[in-house]
Amino acid sequence: MKRIIGLIAVIATGLLMTASSVSAQKIVVSMKGPGAGNPFWAAVQRGAEEKAAELGVEVVVLAPPTESDVPAQIAQIEDQLVKGAAGIVLAPTDPNALAPVVDEAIADGVPVVFVDTKGANEGVTYIGTDNETGASLAATHICENVAAGSDVAILQGIITQSTGKARADGSNAGLTACGLNIVAEQTAEWDRAKGLAVMENILTGNPNLKAVFASNDNMALGAMEAIKNAGMLGDIFVVGFDANPDAAESVLAGEMAATVAQNPYNMGAIGVESVVNLINGGSLDPVIDTGTVLVTAENAADYQ
Amino acid sequence: MRPQNSNDDSPLLEARGVSKYFGAVTALRDVDLQLWPGEVLGVVGDNGAGKSTLMKVLSGLYPPSKGSLHFDGNEVQFHSPRDARDLGIEMVYQDLALAGNMNIAENIYLGREPKRKVLGGLISLFDHKKGLQMAKDHLDNLKIQVKSVEQKVEELSGGQRQAVAIARSIAFQARVVIMDEPTAALAIKEVGKVLDMIVGLKDRGISVVIISHRMDDIFYVCDRVMALYHGANFSESHLKDTSRSEVIGWIMGTKENVRELAHDRVK
Amino acid sequence: MTESSNHEMNNEVPWHVRMIPFFDRYGILIVIVVMCLVLWAMQPEVFLSWRNISNIFKQTAANGMLSIGMFLVILTAGIDLSVGSVLALGMMTLAVSNASGVPWPIVLCLSPFMGMLAGFVNGVGITKLRMPHPFIMTLGMLFMARGLANLISGGVPYSGLPDPVRFLGSAQIYLGEFDGTRYNLPIVFLFTIFVYLVFWILLEHTVFGRRVYAIGGNPEAARVSGINVDQTLIIVYTICGFMAGVAGLIMAGRTNSGFPNAGQGMELEAIAAVIIGGASFFGGRGQVLGIFGGVLIMGLIRNGLNLNDVSTFWQQILIGGIIVLAVFIDVLRRDWGTRS
Repeated sequence: MKRIIGLIAVIATGLLMTASSVSAQKIVVSMKGPGAGNPFWAAVQRGAEEKAAELGVEVVVLAPPTESDVPAQIAQIEDQLVKGAAGIVLAPTDPNALAPVVDEAIADGVPVVFVDTKGANEGVTYIGTDNETGASLAATHICENVAAGSDVAILQGIITQSTGKARADGSNAGLTACGLNIVAEQTAEWDRAKGLAVMENILTGNPNLKAVFASNDNMALGAMEAIKNAGMLGDIFVVGFDANPDAAESVLAGEMAATVAQNPYNMGAIGVESVVNLINGGSLDPVIDTGTVLVTAENAADYQ
Repeated sequence: MRPQNSNDDSPLLEARGVSKYFGAVTALRDVDLQLWPGEVLGVVGDNGAGKSTLMKVLSGLYPPSKGSLHFDGNEVQFHSPRDARDLGIEMVYQDLALAGNMNIAENIYLGREPKRKVLGGLISLFDHKKGLQMAKDHLDNLKIQVKSVEQKVEELSGGQRQAVAIARSIAFQARVVIMDEPTAALAIKEVGKVLDMIVGLKDRGISVVIISHRMDDIFYVCDRVMALYHGANFSESHLKDTSRSEVIGWIMGTKENVRELAHDRVK
Repeated sequence: MTESSNHEMNNEVPWHVRMIPFFDRYGILIVIVVMCLVLWAMQPEVFLSWRNISNIFKQTAANGMLSIGMFLVILTAGIDLSVGSVLALGMMTLAVSNASGVPWPIVLCLSPFMGMLAGFVNGVGITKLRMPHPFIMTLGMLFMARGLANLISGGVPYSGLPDPVRFLGSAQIYLGEFDGTRYNLPIVFLFTIFVYLVFWILLEHTVFGRRVYAIGGNPEAARVSGINVDQTLIIVYTICGFMAGVAGLIMAGRTNSGFPNAGQGMELEAIAAVIIGGASFFGGRGQVLGIFGGVLIMGLIRNGLNLNDVSTFWQQILIGGIIVLAVFIDVLRRDWGTRS
């Protein structure tokens, strides 16, 4: 009997230790993954919490234990709906799988906005990176550093995905506008090894290549390997996207020229601000850009 | 070797020239065995003499590599223990082969569970009630006392388990019961009870083959004893025509000067 | 054998030993009741609300299906690591075939069917290919089923299922409106009760079920009793796979989609529920009601922590702790129950 009581005590303590005493109405921020150990989600969380403090509203930031645990995210939202959540800022682990519970929230009269990843539900505002703008930011940086008329190449992601297409379109438009000569546009499917292989082929066919835009940093880093192997380090201006720590390091080492950072802090902050706006009867644009930042040697240390 | 008091013309169970090979290893070589109706046959031999292998051939667990088996005068072939059991040949294994997590009744009927049909015969369910009653009657009949037939076997003592294993072997019209070291794992006070049960089987007209290392067991329950040595027939005798020291000599593979030899070894 | 064994149950048996049968039967029930009381005290307005209770059942249904199948396997002293992947395989087969225009009655059956097929392959592999332990075969299936789920879907989610396919996972019976609250009964709740009832009958009252227990208790005994152990094991693993497929159907209905990451790690949740529910890894032990309790405890932990805005890391810590405690209680139980 003592053991059973002990077991129960452990459960109860676990719950009580971290439980909140009031169940007042709160804004729920449901992220794809936990902020712990992931700077991206940590920034989303910081943005949401600081904006909430500024606006004087309460938020609770939740996430499933891993980004693939879709049912856990659904359950979290269901449970928060029962508790009477005031609004939901959601980064869906899977846009389609989360759609039914988002519909349930809307049916309950609880406003929802998507951040980071666009959901499948019609009429719900998406707050995230405008990838086309980000890619043209990268293109402009290339234009400013490479002589007009030079040969340039684009490494595309998977262009059947919206992110891949937006980055391909934005970079193409930007590079064309400033009079650069796009000699190759090929996909390396977001992959570092494929980035290397595709770049090798491009270099073989285009020895005068002066710049490359890669739709993500993995492909950019793969391309850097090909360039180094070909002994052309320093001859080709490489810009990536995402500002992941490896890329930031490469920029600091003087290998990659630049990368483009998303702004997760803004996703959290604008997410909370927008949902408060909806709660107060306001309306939102269907898409809100959280902005992008060019990362060069000057600010790359912030992204390591 | 026909029992002196037997009126039967042919043995109930007979192995003729049975050999069993496991790869390059010869476990049995041209072994003959006869078991007559209503007799208790003791099989002795040193470790590795082939006793257990022979029993597994008789109970259908191993097919013989050579030779034939005869039951009631007809040649038979066993593809599984089930075939042997269908003829009424049951084996009580050394490790008893009971499921400790299940109750006595379920163990007795394991593999031959009483069923009842429900939903017009569409579904056949295990008939707990009938199983419990049958098990209770059966144990009462054998004068085996247990607290309840719903007791789990793992809660029983070694002797009680042996009793359940034997009860189980004769639950379905057994004619031959083969026992591998039935007293080896028992507390001394329980040995006598198990031996009495074996005598009880004989009284019911059931033939018994018993493997044992213990001369006390052999000389208490058996009518006849046969010895295997290195996988082959070595010697056999009616019990009253032999002595402990002679049988011990057989186990060690000698027929000469047995008395002296046996006394040397068994003081 | 002729003496009565009554003296074994004398009055000197300590109280905690005499309590063993009581806890065997009702221990898990007590844990659940106490958990509910604690959660109710912490969230008085929310926890016992109808909507929350039906949420708990919606959230635990898929794990409930996996766990009962896993229980059958663990009863035979086996393990099935592939159920999470098989769930995904069933779910993706369903979603992809739906997207390519297969009529819904077939789509509906595809997930359980694929599950059955995977389970059958597991069973045949374990018995006929003589894999040294079910761990190996089902570990292989874990990768194969996941790979196959990705292969047929190209690794991308498919969404939009017809209502009849979603029925099991998402339909609700409208019970009426009282005091301004709408009461809905999720179909999946009724279905879960039904499945557990069927498994209870299967395990306690059919010859097959008793043989599953016997194989778990002593496979040699089962074999020499003339039970076809291989055939029984194949059926057991096939049923386990089938239940994983049913879980896939439920999850597809619940999410209106198929996503190839589905079910990752769920095999471990199912094993946890089975162990918390009182089954033994050595086989032959445990009851259907206990497994139901194990699933419910896992669901209550998740629900309770969510309601109190607690990080899911706590959920992992608590479930881990409870597994260890549940087995420790079982160890104590055996110590007390062993005759000296």
